[in-house]
Amino acid sequence: MLLEPFLRQCRHQPEAIALVEDGRSLTYGQLLAQSQAIAAGLQEMGVKPGLPVAIHLERGIDAAIALFGVLFAGACYVPLDLKNPPPRLAFIVNDAQAQAVLGLGAAPTWLDKGEWLDIETCPEALPLPIDIQAASLAAILYTSGSSGKPRGVALSHGAVAAFAQWAADLVGLQANDRIASSTPFFFDLSTFDLYAVLGRGASLHFLPSALNMAPARLSVWLKERAISGWYTVPSLLAFLSYKGNLAQTPLESLRFLFFAGEVFPSPALINLAANLPRTTLYNFFGPTETNVCCYWPVKRAQLAADKPIPIGLPAAACELRIHAETGELWVRGPSLASGYWGSGRLQLFPNQDGWYATGDRVSQINGEYHFHGRLGRMLKCSGYRVEPAEIEASVNAMAGVRDCAVAGVEDPATGQRPALALVLEPHLTSADIRNALALLFPPYMQPKHCIALEELPRLANGKLDYQRIHGLLNRKP
Amino acid sequence: MKKKLKNFIFTELIYHEDPASFGEDANLLEAGLDSMGIMRLIMYAEQEFDVTLPDTEIEPDNVKSLNALEKWIRHACQSQ
Repeated sequence: MLLEPFLRQCRHQPEAIALVEDGRSLTYGQLLAQSQAIAAGLQEMGVKPGLPVAIHLERGIDAAIALFGVLFAGACYVPLDLKNPPPRLAFIVNDAQAQAVLGLGAAPTWLDKGEWLDIETCPEALPLPIDIQAASLAAILYTSGSSGKPRGVALSHGAVAAFAQWAADLVGLQANDRIASSTPFFFDLSTFDLYAVLGRGASLHFLPSALNMAPARLSVWLKERAISGWYTVPSLLAFLSYKGNLAQTPLESLRFLFFAGEVFPSPALINLAANLPRTTLYNFFGPTETNVCCYWPVKRAQLAADKPIPIGLPAAACELRIHAETGELWVRGPSLASGYWGSGRLQLFPNQDGWYATGDRVSQINGEYHFHGRLGRMLKCSGYRVEPAEIEASVNAMAGVRDCAVAGVEDPATGQRPALALVLEPHLTSADIRNALALLFPPYMQPKHCIALEELPRLANGKLDYQRIHGLLNRKP
Repeated sequence: MKKKLKNFIFTELIYHEDPASFGEDANLLEAGLDSMGIMRLIMYAEQEFDVTLPDTEIEPDNVKSLNALEKWIRHACQSQ
């Protein structure tokens, strides 16, 4: 069901352009043939349906071919964030029990070579047909885990298809649309690019990464490509709006923008709305576990610099409810993930009549939902989820660390950053810990600062007093 | 100017184990300066040095090192 709309496009318009990247493009027919060759290669390796295959490629045409190859083999894909240091990548591949890792050229040194498949070595071939059910897993997206290790959110074919169809219908996606793609495939935003866009026969244009740092060239690229839609993050849109020279580069083809992943500050959104008077803007909201569960078509007249924007209305046929005591948002519906993938198997979410408790605190005002932050300790850093418990588990495992705690500090550039309170043996300094962390975690998980204490503040019951720790870490130096 | 920029970058934008040892031509982008960091750096520099940095000149080459930043910002100051 997830692949059917795409396959229909491959039959109806095999010569139409599906993917464009720098100087390279691929038609629907070519994308199908090349991904089927990879599927056949995976089957020859003995890859079984329903189990994970990791993808060791930067976002782009090759990664898209690889990922459809995995799906045509009936397996589910685990896109790796190559910004992670090797130990974390190795953990994810081992934890997923990936049957194979797809990439280009030679295997990375941290990987057991038996699992590696160079996608360019797969000869043209057709895979054996596989019966795929709605509940079959399509993708496992690893995020930081509250249990102290990364964990995978497991998305079924049915869940991804439900979101893709809803989003495509929302903006009436058509074959003549030209959609920009800037999100790595390990973020759930990419499910729109891959399945909504290619399911409707439109073309997907990969934004060159360097343009993230050159906003005026970014706007020229959007204009010259006649991009008609884009699903991205607020921070990049704010940069484009403030510094993208949009007054001299009107984006007349751009008919819609979706944004998600972080809160869009109202002043920046007002600026964007003024710069793009004819573009329809949508705020999407939802943790990876629900994909998009709430959406708000931006009502320009309702925007005010001192008022946060709502997250809006239920999306993708989701039912929403607010827990009476905690104010927590609960979600039930077809786009929900199946559960968490860890240690090579699926752990379903706790059965609560199909409801998933998001950990997000919300309220409802005049029918629209509003977001008020997290109930738990999770941080959002540069759009990535960071669980303080994962950093704490690694630090506590280091020799010479007596105790540690992580809390978020506000950071205007990234939203939040983790900060670290440490109790160390006398021969260690916080610099030793930071140097060790640099080898374990990607940049967005590195602490903004560390403080060394004699002991950590605790509550009367002996538990860490996170409120006081948060206060200590947020004190101005 | 370089000292102010360096101080802002290493206290607000990126972590480095020893900022004092970070050279004036060393690559800031490889050290972790990303698009959000660049946006904040530009807003800081415009305010601190009372200058408007033209949108079309915001390029990796102009922000890749402390020397490149200083050269770019000084040039913008002189032409205004």
